[in-house]
Amino acid sequence: MNAYLELTEEFNSGKVRAIVSSGQAVVLHRLAVMSKDGDWIIREEGETTAHILSVLASHGARYRFGAPLDCRWLKEGWSSHFEFFRDGLRIRTDFVSRPPRINREALDRLWKTHESQPVPFVGLRDLAELKKTNREKDYPVIGELARLMGKLEERLLYSRSARDLIALAAQYPGEIGPLKRQRPLLAVLSRGEDAVEKALDEERRELMHRNEERLQKYIKAAEHWKAHWPALDAQTAGLGLLKAHETLVKAAENDLPAQVEKTA
Amino acid sequence: MKLPDEFLSEEDLDLKNLSEEELYRYWDLWLHQAQASNDLDKDEYSHGVFAL
Repeated sequence: MNAYLELTEEFNSGKVRAIVSSGQAVVLHRLAVMSKDGDWIIREEGETTAHILSVLASHGARYRFGAPLDCRWLKEGWSSHFEFFRDGLRIRTDFVSRPPRINREALDRLWKTHESQPVPFVGLRDLAELKKTNREKDYPVIGELARLMGKLEERLLYSRSARDLIALAAQYPGEIGPLKRQRPLLAVLSRGEDAVEKALDEERRELMHRNEERLQKYIKAAEHWKAHWPALDAQTAGLGLLKAHETLVKAAENDLPAQVEKTA
Repeated sequence: MKLPDEFLSEEDLDLKNLSEEELYRYWDLWLHQAQASNDLDKDEYSHGVFAL
């Protein structure tokens, strides 16, 4: 098996606590291998964070710059990051419990869908939402994810191809109108391929800027934490992960606000 | 006849034709080869809300 899948099995020993997300989920959808890091969406509960820390500690993991793996920060959208080395591989593990662009209803549905799967990984639609980042390289992935989607509505909402969208509109003209509010670009489909391609480019740039704005709030809120991190990193270097975690939580209570300002 | 839009290469999309064992072998091989860039991306984050 693969290192990230083995880790997932360990995280989910006894119950599903972690769902494979992002780059490794793209592999599990059989699209491409593009990422060296492992990302998981985890349950927002103390038992889960304790179990995951215990697994990571058994692998000699250490914290990378990030929030403590603690629900007080996770529930506000912060992320936690770790790293260890195994069999010649640098293994990076990133965790969130409130992934961006997945609302509460979708998150509940995600957990219900995956609560008994042996290797749970994010489905096509949620993965497409997660990929609406500020990185250019994620948008072709959304394009291919959309081509795998079985539901017409989802293909219309996520397709990155002007030609595919125009063809779908021609085949199912009645389906476009109700979706325009969710995806304004669909209003341009009747204007031809050039107009749709231009609209796709504008949509991608807007999504990228929107994610940048979201991240900026966290970067600003983490300024003190970032300034103190080198000293904290040095202080926790010789400790095992669990002791390091205790130290970081105490420090974060002073230096890393759990709640992020709603406006920049 | 127009060519369809391409987002990822044929090699990428051919993962679906691999058996589970082949997929895991290819995946591991890719991960091992990608270690060559560890120094370059040591301060990067693939996802999450942090940046160094």
